[in-house]
Amino acid sequence: MAWRSRLSYIGWRHLSIFSNPSPSNWTKVVSDAEKIVGYPTSFMSLRCLLSDELSNVAMHVRKLVGTKHPLLNTARGFVYDSRNNLQMRGLIVLLMSKAAGPCPSTSDPIHDSMVSGIYPSQRNLAEITELIHTAFLVHRGIVNLKEWTNSDGPLKDMQFGNKMAVLSGDFLLANACTGLAQLNDTKVVELISSAIGDVVQGIYHESSTSAEEGSLTVASWEDQTFLSHGALLAKSCQAAMKLARHGNESQNLAFQYGKHLALGHKLNSDLHTFVKSGSEPAVFSLDSAPVVFHRQIVGPERWRHQLKQVQNMARQIDYTKLRGLIKTERGVSQALDLCSYHGNKALEAMKCFPPSEARSALENMACAVTKF
Amino acid sequence: MHKDTGASCHERKVSQGLYQKFSYVYSLLLTQSTETDPLNFVFQQLLVSKAELKVLCDYYFDGKGKAFRPMIVILMARACNVHSNKEGVLLPAQRSIAMISEMIHTASLVHDDVIDDSDTRRGKNTINKVWGERKAILAGDFILSAASMALARIGNNTVVSVLSQVIEDLVRGEFMQLGSKENENERFKHYLEKTFKKTASLIANSCKAVSILVNSDPEVHEIAYQYGRNVGIAFQLVDDILDFTSCANLLGKPSAADLKLGLATGPVLFACQQFPELHAMIMRRFSSDGDVDRAWQYVLKSDGVEQTNYLAQHYCQEAIRQISRLRPSTERDALIQLTELVLRRDK
Repeated sequence: MAWRSRLSYIGWRHLSIFSNPSPSNWTKVVSDAEKIVGYPTSFMSLRCLLSDELSNVAMHVRKLVGTKHPLLNTARGFVYDSRNNLQMRGLIVLLMSKAAGPCPSTSDPIHDSMVSGIYPSQRNLAEITELIHTAFLVHRGIVNLKEWTNSDGPLKDMQFGNKMAVLSGDFLLANACTGLAQLNDTKVVELISSAIGDVVQGIYHESSTSAEEGSLTVASWEDQTFLSHGALLAKSCQAAMKLARHGNESQNLAFQYGKHLALGHKLNSDLHTFVKSGSEPAVFSLDSAPVVFHRQIVGPERWRHQLKQVQNMARQIDYTKLRGLIKTERGVSQALDLCSYHGNKALEAMKCFPPSEARSALENMACAVTKF
Repeated sequence: MHKDTGASCHERKVSQGLYQKFSYVYSLLLTQSTETDPLNFVFQQLLVSKAELKVLCDYYFDGKGKAFRPMIVILMARACNVHSNKEGVLLPAQRSIAMISEMIHTASLVHDDVIDDSDTRRGKNTINKVWGERKAILAGDFILSAASMALARIGNNTVVSVLSQVIEDLVRGEFMQLGSKENENERFKHYLEKTFKKTASLIANSCKAVSILVNSDPEVHEIAYQYGRNVGIAFQLVDDILDFTSCANLLGKPSAADLKLGLATGPVLFACQQFPELHAMIMRRFSSDGDVDRAWQYVLKSDGVEQTNYLAQHYCQEAIRQISRLRPSTERDALIQLTELVLRRDK
């Protein structure tokens, strides 16, 4: 059954969405960045994590140990992530806030004072962004019971895991909503709510069976990936500008940085298995960028033929073989070019901000995303 | 067994009349211009059109629901408007609140159906049964995001806070159902608090929101809130009664559903006093063979239903007391009549 391999791929990949640039370089970029914003961002949402409700869930999730429900992986990844990849979006929002500087308006000043160059409202926004991101990680791990077979273990384990996943995701979203309300800025509420809608649309198609053959074209890849991976970060960066009453130009630049960084990062993540040839067996989505480019190059007939070549009697795909086939064409190099393109666009956006430590940190991230 | 409430023919006609009047109002809501119909407006903004997602989101907005919540919200809005010298005309923002509250309610139902693994709702197959659990959850999230956007567009921070609180209460209420309290006294308190969070909070805060939009007097907000809270709790108590007393086909969902989910509601909690055997069953959430049937028998033998009904009446009386503090109007009187509707419903 395809959903399990697809789900575990998606679950693992999206857990540490910024994990793929070379570890030591990335870790350094992150820890330098954290110093700039005043504290390790992994402390964010601690209040939420320690709440009664989530402690309750944690207790119940322990019962899932030994089952195959995806929630277990999500929870595990949240507790133990060796590469400091927790809460990267929040970190970027904080850096962007700092890079943009204080409120420029004298007629409509902000009364709260900045801490480490960031307004409290912007810090809260960073936390809210993370809550939303995590909520969707959790909701993506929900299993379609109709596709359950005996080899997945007892049905009631899947039902129970689903229940926990729905509840914890809802809890995180609810906290995001009340957090948004407390920002006292309805324009920001509107913007971030629209981002939530974007994420839903973006990941909705992952649940369709057409994803088993790959349904994205080069034209639709960027729109789709923007929705599922870019919208939240782009709109949060823009919202951070709004909160400090920065003008439309700053808002747009922040949005562009968020968008291009997220897209560049997704490309990096997609490319990893094609560029780093290790002995690991390949696992990848047929809608990942190199595959999408490859499909366009070889055309639908040859693609179907290639798929048949790598499928066994049970129509299961040998991804390692498929990877080999894809590497013989130009899909990978086109994806690499696109990755550099987005990294550069992100850098371009930052150049318009005054030089600062925060700006440099964001530039370092944009560079790191193009490295393998 | 369906208990006849003894309502006269005339009273039944009045109830039906009210239902019809407000189904009409509700259908007006659904066909509003795109400016005030949040769901449609949002869909028009979509970058990439997702036809199937739209089908899921519209699935329960087919006019077949009771439209109870929008009904109350609109009546409350008009009553507050009259009280505030603004005549009974509904403000567009108030109409939005009515739609938003129905959207929040629907989103929570969609998620509840996944949590409870329900097959049917309002006479149809549930979204999770037709399209699967993953898409159902995403659809619920989408409806919530649309509600949140529509809420923000009203442009009033207080109103946003008031309704965001509902979203949090709904989730906390669902969490409260996960555990069972050991202590009998705590159990009832827990039940009422859960009932507030899961049902009454939405009505109370929606009423409060429409009052805020037209009046700055905190006493008026409190009246609206308390009416909504009391009617909401009464509504749920009656719902819990109907779970024991109605036939499966009248409700659109199977009865003894709460017991089957392991939940101990009003009638059961009261019945405990006469049949202590229920304690152990409550603690194990009716999970042993035959528990559900035996518990049901005990409840029907006891005065649990009667006591719950009495409690619901008490809440309705409090709602009437509150709303009577507003200036007289047809809407205020309709809200008073509505409490009767709540108590007399058979579905």
